[in-house]
Amino acid sequence: MSKYILAKKTSVHDFSTFYSFLIGLAISITVGSLILLLQDQNPIEVFSLMLKLSVGSMNSLSASLNKAIPLILAGLGIAIINTVKLWNIGAEGQIFLGAIIVNLVYINTDLRSSSLYILLLLIAGFIGGSICILMPAITKVFFGVNEIITTLLTNYIIIGLTVYLINGPWRDPDSLSFPVAAYVGEEVFLPKILGRLSIGFIICILCTFAAHYLIDKSVFGYEMRIAGGSQMTAIYAGINAKQKTFIAMLIGGGFAGLAGAVELLGQTHRVSTGISQGFGYTAIIVAAITGMRPIGIFLVGTLFGALTIGGSVIQTIGVSSYIADIIQATTLFGALIALFFFTYEIKEVQDG
Amino acid sequence: MADVQLMGLLNATLQAATLLFVAALGELITEKSGILNLGVEGMISIGAVTGFMTAINTENLFLAVVAGIFSASLFASLHAFVTVILKQDQTVSGLILTILGLALSSLLGKKYVGKKLTTKIESIVDIAEPENIVEVLLSQNIIFYFTIVLMITMAYVLKHTMYGRRLQAVGEDSKAADSMGLKVNKTQFIATCVGGAFAGLSGVYLTLSYVPYWTDNMTSGRGWIALALVIFGGWRPYRTAIGALLFGFLEALVPRLQTYSFEISPYLLKITPYLITIFVLVILTIYKDGKTGSPGNIGRPFFRENR
Repeated sequence: MSKYILAKKTSVHDFSTFYSFLIGLAISITVGSLILLLQDQNPIEVFSLMLKLSVGSMNSLSASLNKAIPLILAGLGIAIINTVKLWNIGAEGQIFLGAIIVNLVYINTDLRSSSLYILLLLIAGFIGGSICILMPAITKVFFGVNEIITTLLTNYIIIGLTVYLINGPWRDPDSLSFPVAAYVGEEVFLPKILGRLSIGFIICILCTFAAHYLIDKSVFGYEMRIAGGSQMTAIYAGINAKQKTFIAMLIGGGFAGLAGAVELLGQTHRVSTGISQGFGYTAIIVAAITGMRPIGIFLVGTLFGALTIGGSVIQTIGVSSYIADIIQATTLFGALIALFFFTYEIKEVQDG
Repeated sequence: MADVQLMGLLNATLQAATLLFVAALGELITEKSGILNLGVEGMISIGAVTGFMTAINTENLFLAVVAGIFSASLFASLHAFVTVILKQDQTVSGLILTILGLALSSLLGKKYVGKKLTTKIESIVDIAEPENIVEVLLSQNIIFYFTIVLMITMAYVLKHTMYGRRLQAVGEDSKAADSMGLKVNKTQFIATCVGGAFAGLSGVYLTLSYVPYWTDNMTSGRGWIALALVIFGGWRPYRTAIGALLFGFLEALVPRLQTYSFEISPYLLKITPYLITIFVLVILTIYKDGKTGSPGNIGRPFFRENR
């Protein structure tokens, strides 16, 4: 008698992650259409409007690319931390703390040279993100505390801190409607390169290559992978796993913090609760869907940035912006389902 | 008068604890089977919004509770399908469940923001200002008592019955359990759906009793605290209940501190439960030297090997 079992395929197609993503996208668009139909909307009309308003003109295209910046930067941070097989769910908080530290440094310093000042503030943002993940990193490395829960809970703490700052010490007395901090000066606004597209996009491209090099090409990347694998292998190879894990987490957090700095200096120009609109969570989807590959994160991040812009503009015709979130999440679900068929096969084996 | 305030605090503690505990108990069952479900926050939201929608439209609270539980369980079956049947990464799938659940509930609940329930789940005995512990207990609603029954039942089932032992065997060592003839996939699938049902019950408690209205993201991290509670409780129902009471107390205490004229910003006070959650987790992990008592197979997909 023979029976059937599930087994991992011995060789997996090189582009399986990419194909899974495409299948996931097809599934999510189908699901999105069904939801729109249930809400008495014409899906073709809504999607073509989303397309037109997210990439149809120079203005909307640059808005989409601007929106992609935090997704890509935070996604890269998540991928770096995943190299040591850990999850960073705290990108949202790191974005906020990045922006907060930038504002803190801005308030307390005064530099003549505008470009040097911007550089200083971007570094401050990176450090802010690292500070944000410091506590989860210490507790993970030294005591083995589950980093998923600590990084996530840090989000609520940092957002609480943001609300405190903009209601208390940093509250702008000129803003009467809702609490926000005062604007930063125009001398530290990120310069525009094309239309409304800020120089943050160039930073984003540079960071993508840096992360690609760090993860796939550098010695440190190799050491990180070993540190995230078996403990015995790391000891045998003479690699200090704790040190590598710690550094990887600080760099990963820094990338998300940099996203906060770029968002503050390039987009919002002041600290508010709108610094991040769930970018840290969307970045998790972006990173996971690409199998944690930097170039993939750049491409999918760009697409999802456009999708987010598309989602926010269709609110004007009475469609909930959450449709974009749902499409992003179901894309990953669909991709996971598709990935199964690329990586597993049903085998027939002889019993006994 | 101090007594009335103290009893008010106790009352609020029990309510906040119930909300956290039901979800934590569900996650405990799921994790006992070896499946990690990080989607608690999303499942609570789905349960909360469907319960609220049903209550508004039908004015039938029983139907609303059933709808909330059923929908959250159905939602959890997505996670079960992807992780148990398709063997995909449990962390990724659980996170997506949270993101999708929050987005979907906001989409569904959009028309219901600001609406008030005409009826909410009533207390066993209606007491406006309870003055002693008995009166506080009597002023809780039916879900509170149902939760106590669930806790005792689950503790008993896990420890003393065949079902409980089988569930734990699957979670500890699914390969050994499989060779003993236990149905690993089926057990894990059911455990995940049951966990979802519990989260759904927590959700309806939130919108039909705790705060009887609907706003976006009203779960505000409680699903994650529930996840931490399971670790806190060392995967044991009674200890998890103690943890839930502790965190319920914190949640109840924070808004009251202001009335005692504390000189701390209310915005900073709001973050204390999260700080304390992390603090307790760290202390607990150090104290137990990393051996938290988690099921041996948690997070790892089960394969029947080529034999």
